[in-house]
Amino acid sequence: MKTRNLIFVLAGFATLAIMPLFLTPNLMNAVIKMLIAALFALSFTLAMGQAGMLSFGHAAYYGLGAFAALHLMRAVEQKLFGFPTPLIPLAGAGVGFCFGLLFGWFATQRTGVYFSMVTLALAELLFTLAPTWNSVFGGESGISTIRGTSWGLSFGPDIHVYYLTLGWFVISAWCMWAFTRTPLGQLALALRDNEHRVRFLGFNTHVARTLIFAISCMFTGVAGALLAIANEATNYTIFAAGASANVVLQTFIGGAGTFFGPALGAAAMTFFARVTSDLTRSWLLYQGLIFALVMLFVPNGIGGLISEHSKKLKKGGWTALVGPYALCLVVGLLLVTGLVFMVESTHILLSDSYIAKTRSTPPGESVPFSMLGIVFHPKSVTTWAIPAVLLAVGAGLLPVARKLTETAWLRATGTEGSKA
Amino acid sequence: MNAPTAANPVLELKDLRKSFGETKIIRGVDLAVQRGERHALIGPNGAGKSTLFNLISGHYTPTSGEILLNGRSIAGMQPHVINRQGLSRSFQITNLFPRLSVAENLRISVMGRHGYRFTMFRPVASLKAVAAEVDQYLEKLRLTRRRNDLVSDLAYSEQRALEIGMSLATNPEILLLDEPTAGMSREETGYMVELIRSVTEGKTLLVVEHDMSVVFTLCDQISVLVYGEVIATGAPQAVRSNAKVQEAYLGEEVAS
Repeated sequence: MKTRNLIFVLAGFATLAIMPLFLTPNLMNAVIKMLIAALFALSFTLAMGQAGMLSFGHAAYYGLGAFAALHLMRAVEQKLFGFPTPLIPLAGAGVGFCFGLLFGWFATQRTGVYFSMVTLALAELLFTLAPTWNSVFGGESGISTIRGTSWGLSFGPDIHVYYLTLGWFVISAWCMWAFTRTPLGQLALALRDNEHRVRFLGFNTHVARTLIFAISCMFTGVAGALLAIANEATNYTIFAAGASANVVLQTFIGGAGTFFGPALGAAAMTFFARVTSDLTRSWLLYQGLIFALVMLFVPNGIGGLISEHSKKLKKGGWTALVGPYALCLVVGLLLVTGLVFMVESTHILLSDSYIAKTRSTPPGESVPFSMLGIVFHPKSVTTWAIPAVLLAVGAGLLPVARKLTETAWLRATGTEGSKA
Repeated sequence: MNAPTAANPVLELKDLRKSFGETKIIRGVDLAVQRGERHALIGPNGAGKSTLFNLISGHYTPTSGEILLNGRSIAGMQPHVINRQGLSRSFQITNLFPRLSVAENLRISVMGRHGYRFTMFRPVASLKAVAAEVDQYLEKLRLTRRRNDLVSDLAYSEQRALEIGMSLATNPEILLLDEPTAGMSREETGYMVELIRSVTEGKTLLVVEHDMSVVFTLCDQISVLVYGEVIATGAPQAVRSNAKVQEAYLGEEVAS
């Protein structure tokens, strides 16, 4: 069990290590952003999943890490002093940790919703102040710089940035994993479960929570610094509440209860956003739908699903699941295609440009619209029959797929009575 | 300054008072718990027993009066400070870490006392002394067999045993037990009393308990709290026959 996990992790890192050989420049950039998002989510989970502190303001430490890195890079660029580019994320770590201590000291005076609100307020404070503090945050346009040459590497091409990011990701992920094994890491779990009791066992819970929060912010700062290195620029919008919310959503989709799930969730959602935001303006709607569906039907997230499978499947049990899962995939595709058709066509029909077109044609005449290069007529029955049939067939097959999956799960795990 | 009768009280309350707004819950309690004593605190519902425990353990701050632990004032201190001074308490409603294993629960208690509170540069598994002590407590609590099970999977009586074990594992000089047999069947209660006796050998105890048979078998001193005041203190026999106590609280149970 243990060795199997280790093999998976090592295989994952090996894949990441050789990946650049096969990536287009655009995809390589996407993977860099996915690694950064994954690191951000892991660091957020250190506070959230382990110590139960749901921070709604982690963008603050992400942004501060980014600005710290940029200022350091600028100082090097202006030859004020030398500093190796690969170690720039240390600036993010330092600033993240210090502000984590400072802000955390106040936020951790409270627990639960009140804690979340204080973290949100502190992040919003930065978001509001940043555009007015020109010399620190560069006003509304932000600050930019270029990556310096060091250790014989120019850090110009993306591949250098890729390995720099991967290196920091691996080191940080290992540190955070190791942290869970330390006394303070164990205390974090106890705090998550029952903060009240910890107090009566001789621990100053305020100090403990501040420290854990600051460590989480430290790694968030590293992630922010990596983003700054990759983009060579940032501005105050990095502090926006949306950025804080994003990491919360990604972590829950990935599974806050597992160590590596949030990283998978963040990577997947970052990739999803990158692909869909180029294709459609409704991508945020889809992202929201994914979150809602995951919370409703897979509350433990991707990571929870994986660990459920690795823990409960009998040897060779997966063979029973292949068929039902394939059916689930087909049903899912039917439903998704139908839904996307509806959303996108509605989006077109309600757009300004389409409405303008209808005004310029005589009333009663149908104005066609095109989607994915195909022309549809909004007043034709066949147009709406497409999504209707897709959705109907999908919805009709859904109970069948669920039933089959459930029985297959019971067979695959060898447990009767329990539910998938 | 010490009263000649009070030889060496571990815990001493002097004219302790607590009001919530206008409502006086604790109205001048004087109480001394001697070293090695097993002291029961009984009283009808609403007498202020829980409030008194919350005051002593630092959950509440007293309105006035003194709480002395080994002669040093602990009134108004934070719970974790009081715990480190040598006073630990259990809870009436099981108060554990449900998503940690039994051994991990005990390890939290033990590692704190060994000074590993915020240690983050060595694995907890490498702390041999802590691990050995956890094993001892598991053995004492008869939970060795369940060491790797999640607390949420334990039977109620096992959770109650662990609840007491958690408080005990911070190695206090005086242990406060809040209704250790609450919600248990007669059979479980018997088992629990016997377990408490064996694990708290030589410890000073202050116990809140409703079950009179538990009080009379477990404890050698009884204080009766009624309306925020101690109306009697003494050996079980003396308290049983005390007229004030009979009138206020014990009633038929003692008479029969």
